[in-house]
Amino acid sequence: MDLDIALILGQDGITSGAIYALLALCILLVFTVTRILLIPLGEFSVFGALTLASIQAGTPSRIVWLLVVFFAFQLMLDLYAGFRNKTPFHLRSHILWAIYIGLVVGAMYFLPLASLPMLIQVLLALAVITPLGPQIYRLFFQPLVAAKSLVLLIVSIAVHVALVGIGLLVFGPDGAQTQPFSEAVYQWGNLAVNSQTLYIIAAFFSMILVLWYFFGKTLYGKALRATAVNRVGAQLMGISPIFAGKITFAMAAFMGAFAGILIAPITTLYYDSGFIISLKGFVGAIIGGLASFPVAAAGSVAVGIIEAFSMFWASDYKEIIVFTLIIPFLLWKSLTSRHIEEDHE
Amino acid sequence: MEINKILLVSALAVGSITTHADVRIGVVSSSTGPVAMVGIPQKNTVALLPKTIGGEKVTYISLDDASDPTASVKAINKLISESNVDAIIGPSGSPNASAVIGIIAKAQVPLLAPVGTSTVVLPMNPQKKWVFKTTQNDDLIAQALVEDMVKRKIKTLGFIGTADPYGENWSKVVAHLAASKGIKLTQKESFQRQDTSLTGQALKLIAGKPQAILIAAPGSSAVTPQVALYDRGYRGQIYQTHGAALDQFLKLGGKKVDNTILAASLMLVINEIDNKHPSKVIALKYMNNYKKIYGEYPATFGANVYDAGLLLEKAIPVALKQAKPGSIQFRQALRTALEQTKELAGTQGVYNMTPMDHSGFDKRGRVMVTVKNGQWKLLK
Amino acid sequence: MKSKYLFVGFAALMALSPLILPAYQVTLLNYIGLNALVVLGLVLLTGVGGMTSFGQAALVGIGAYSTAYLTVTEQLPQFLMWTGGSPWAGLLLGIVLTVISAFLVGGLTLKLSGHYLPLGTIAWGISLYYFFSTIESLGGHSGISNIPSISIASYALDTSNKMFYLIWLILFVAIILTKNILNSREGRAIRALKGGQVMAESMGVNTFRSKMVVFVISSVFASISGWLYAHNQSFINPTPFGLQMGIDYLFMALLGGVGSIWGAIFGAGIFTMLRQWLQDLMPVIFGNDGQYETIVFGLMIVLLMQKAPSGLWPMLVKLVPPRFKANDLHTELTEPTQALPAGDLPPKGTLILEAKNVTKKFGGLVANNNMNLKIHAGEILALIGPNGAGKSTMFNQLSGVDVPTSGEVIFLGEKINGMLSREIAKKGLSRTFQHVKILPEMTVLENVVIGAHLRGKKGVWASLFRLDREEENNLLNEAKFQLERVGLGDYLYTEAGNLALGQQRILEIARALCAHPSLLLLDEPAAGLRLKEKQALAELLMKLKAEGMATLLVEHDMDFVMNLVDHVVVMEFGEKIAEGLPEDIQKNEAVLEAYLGGAA
Repeated sequence: MDLDIALILGQDGITSGAIYALLALCILLVFTVTRILLIPLGEFSVFGALTLASIQAGTPSRIVWLLVVFFAFQLMLDLYAGFRNKTPFHLRSHILWAIYIGLVVGAMYFLPLASLPMLIQVLLALAVITPLGPQIYRLFFQPLVAAKSLVLLIVSIAVHVALVGIGLLVFGPDGAQTQPFSEAVYQWGNLAVNSQTLYIIAAFFSMILVLWYFFGKTLYGKALRATAVNRVGAQLMGISPIFAGKITFAMAAFMGAFAGILIAPITTLYYDSGFIISLKGFVGAIIGGLASFPVAAAGSVAVGIIEAFSMFWASDYKEIIVFTLIIPFLLWKSLTSRHIEEDHE
Repeated sequence: MEINKILLVSALAVGSITTHADVRIGVVSSSTGPVAMVGIPQKNTVALLPKTIGGEKVTYISLDDASDPTASVKAINKLISESNVDAIIGPSGSPNASAVIGIIAKAQVPLLAPVGTSTVVLPMNPQKKWVFKTTQNDDLIAQALVEDMVKRKIKTLGFIGTADPYGENWSKVVAHLAASKGIKLTQKESFQRQDTSLTGQALKLIAGKPQAILIAAPGSSAVTPQVALYDRGYRGQIYQTHGAALDQFLKLGGKKVDNTILAASLMLVINEIDNKHPSKVIALKYMNNYKKIYGEYPATFGANVYDAGLLLEKAIPVALKQAKPGSIQFRQALRTALEQTKELAGTQGVYNMTPMDHSGFDKRGRVMVTVKNGQWKLLK
Repeated sequence: MKSKYLFVGFAALMALSPLILPAYQVTLLNYIGLNALVVLGLVLLTGVGGMTSFGQAALVGIGAYSTAYLTVTEQLPQFLMWTGGSPWAGLLLGIVLTVISAFLVGGLTLKLSGHYLPLGTIAWGISLYYFFSTIESLGGHSGISNIPSISIASYALDTSNKMFYLIWLILFVAIILTKNILNSREGRAIRALKGGQVMAESMGVNTFRSKMVVFVISSVFASISGWLYAHNQSFINPTPFGLQMGIDYLFMALLGGVGSIWGAIFGAGIFTMLRQWLQDLMPVIFGNDGQYETIVFGLMIVLLMQKAPSGLWPMLVKLVPPRFKANDLHTELTEPTQALPAGDLPPKGTLILEAKNVTKKFGGLVANNNMNLKIHAGEILALIGPNGAGKSTMFNQLSGVDVPTSGEVIFLGEKINGMLSREIAKKGLSRTFQHVKILPEMTVLENVVIGAHLRGKKGVWASLFRLDREEENNLLNEAKFQLERVGLGDYLYTEAGNLALGQQRILEIARALCAHPSLLLLDEPAAGLRLKEKQALAELLMKLKAEGMATLLVEHDMDFVMNLVDHVVVMEFGEKIAEGLPEDIQKNEAVLEAYLGGAA
């Protein structure tokens, strides 16, 4: 292997690694605020990518009907809860939701999709997928706010399984690839750097910056951190854990879909590609101890690089290599923890 | 509670085991999963199969095996024990077919397998005598490709296939055939359908400097490695298997897949085929009827199921003279009748079955095809 | 109705099924049986042991591939030649390989807590799946076909009906073995894994070993299921051993009820039949395009978790008329055959425990600063002080739950700081907890007998085959004796969670006494007790003192303390501010200052 090849593989690894790191960030975010391991994260990515591909091909994507169906269920459940348990029914927020969904459906069906500028296409795809996050939280996780972690994990997996099936229904079994943001390729010495890679890395760093600002400087961000530390305490301070959950899921859906859109131009994605990609994000998150983002990010990039090099050296075994990567970290964690931990219920 | 469940179930099931007057054909196809490109047109073709044969009504029972051999086994078991079928068409994938040979042989049910691997019928043995192929043998296709390579004086070949039964099978076939013609296999790589980047494998292949590269992947995943190789600067000859014989391939690959060579069914280039070829008429009839129902032309894989229907249409009347449908004697007679098929023109070629050859194809069964300007063209 | 009759009735029903049901339904029952075997292991692992594992499917794969390889390969390697490719040798090979894998994998993942465990199982589950698919000699993705049937003597089990009996026989044996082990000394250790690990460790239970035991047992079940599967289907490929199936097994366990043995079979049954039914029904309603049953399943599981997280089986059991319910779930006690091993208590006045300059820092906070104290046999010492003085932290340093930053804790002449709490328990130290740590779903008797864990010897094999009944009876009698001693003799078979808090505290004392300790550490034993109960407790402690027991209590109730103890140590801000006889402490200025802010 010479330097040229190593550089190409390195670039490749960093590209995938940045995507995994973005996903690891989402996972950590959702886990710390809600204690939920967001296994369906991969589906958000894939849905985002496939929606964009559909828009670029000029076909209205049927995914918007999922928004409508979820909204209908949400409405019914909220009405029922308002009726049965006398929980206040927020008419205004439901009307706003209805209007938003109506606009999105209208945009999908009436705009000249294929001829829109790329930026608008991307924004439309994001606008379609992001609301799925809080909807999924409301329908599947909200009743389980105080449940045990095993239950949350199982529900997370069940939602993933259902979403994959829905993905097949909505997008079909075909794979799709979107158009690159720009065709530019930069020469850096011997290395041809794809502009898409630069976009991905730029997006990655800007995301970190935005989140750092959000969590550190804004009131909403601090409220979310409070919920992560002590749910009941935050509740006593007037921060609703349900609200925190919905915001977090919205952010995760947005970032997940965005990650999918970033990677869609350089690879073909299928309705079931999401799981394996999000699992690699999980590997990164585990390396970060499910707590520290910088370590998780570094770990994710390492996963991407190791995967790229394994594909070169031993393509048959690359999946085994990537997933057995976790073992040393698990070993390290088990050797350094002396105490018998109780289940934190 | 257990009691009620069991009683209910047995009551429901009792009715279905008597011998029946109509002919029952089971169909197993992969309408979901990696081989769905192949399975969906096959499943759709069932609607075009003959509804009566020899005066008897024919019922088709379709099941999906999600491209997984274990599910194929379960589906076949279900068709045999629950529906008491007289014959089975399917499965869609080669390894799926290999998995079920033992079972259909034991139950003595003829299997018409629209799959590429010749191992389901060769070498012939007591189990395989129950299997009939309606797709060109993989090695028939591979032979055509390798002959082309020899013609172009290609001495080194790289290979990349999907890490699933399809790619695995092809890697064995190619390794064997290339060696016999003195072509050196420089590299053998594999990839997963869902891989986000194939740079590593592409680089490794290119590093071996092969004059040609063969890609074995089903459906749209056949495009990804080819595009990766193109992007990395490879300009040698690329060969594809008939798994890429889809319009999706042209659409996704665009300019980057021009000049690819494949050996596939004549349906891809039907308009360039000589009118005297016996299959042209049949293929056109199939394609137009399919379009009438589904609004688009079928992928070539559906035609393999159509041919199975043609074989049955010829063989069932012969078997009916000897036994009633639903009985083991009928199935044995059907098997014998299928084995005696002579000069039957199908969409893919002309079938001539013998006790030793249950594939029945000859060179009329495949054509060399290439891609020019985003269209399939006959390779001259 | 006796549970034995219910069991036999069910077994008889299953035995008749192949004779009355059509072939396809028997095949379905075979799949249910195979799944139930794996899910049984999962119930043990996850439901009882609290360890969520997605890797069971991979372990099934090891069992299946071992036997497939052995029985199909034409040229076996030298060291396997003697097996002659027999399926029974395949079973053995499979179990050996699976157990080895379980040890390796368990060693890595079982020490982990919380979410690492399931994520770790996902990781090696996936790795094993890819391993199966990349190895040439295991058939790769195309799998291994023509696996021969199992033969007993020369009788080949080559039809579904014949395999049915083998599968369900093995399943029933597995159920019996599982029940046996759960109702034993080992079983209680296992049942304590879910939410009671700190408590179990301080009673001497090696929780890591218990986790391994459960993990290995569940892996053996998985391996046997794989062996049966391979020979039943005569074809295997990697797909049924991947993560998807691992998730399915967990779904089955949850559907039935993750904590119940019969729930395992019920869950496996419902899942398998429902999936079949959906696969048949969905295309009829919706057309052939998609995998609708995954959507329906996913949504169903979510609904189930929201409405009935303990599964469907417990709900079903409630509907059964009482006449058919098992009513003999408790082990009946008979006369004990011999007293449990009990060493003599050290003579009065012996120095039992000494803390020398024990300091504990949490980052910058100094919780205990150079604490010194001594306790002697036949003495009751009270450790008192205002809230936040560091009493409970000191307690944890003394009992081995925590490690001092510096200083020494010496028990009967031996340094114990830094030792695991179960090692310390072996030396003769037993404790109760400030926040009561009991297992609410087990009976009072079962909770208390955990205290006697170290006085029993019978292990896994003995409990599986019921060779431990005599020792079990003796242990339970000891627990009964202690319970009567503390005044809870009427509550032996009540669920511990149903007792009032005060009674639960007394239960903890009975449990500690079961260990026959020479030093008793009681953390706020009088909290939540009524006057009469406090008096009874004081009497008990006096009685123990007369027998030579050393007791250290942490308490807030001054009346209780002052009339009972011999010696008082007062703490404030992590340091000892006074020490001496109760009446002297009550007049000590520093003490009054600490509690009241000034001399009264």
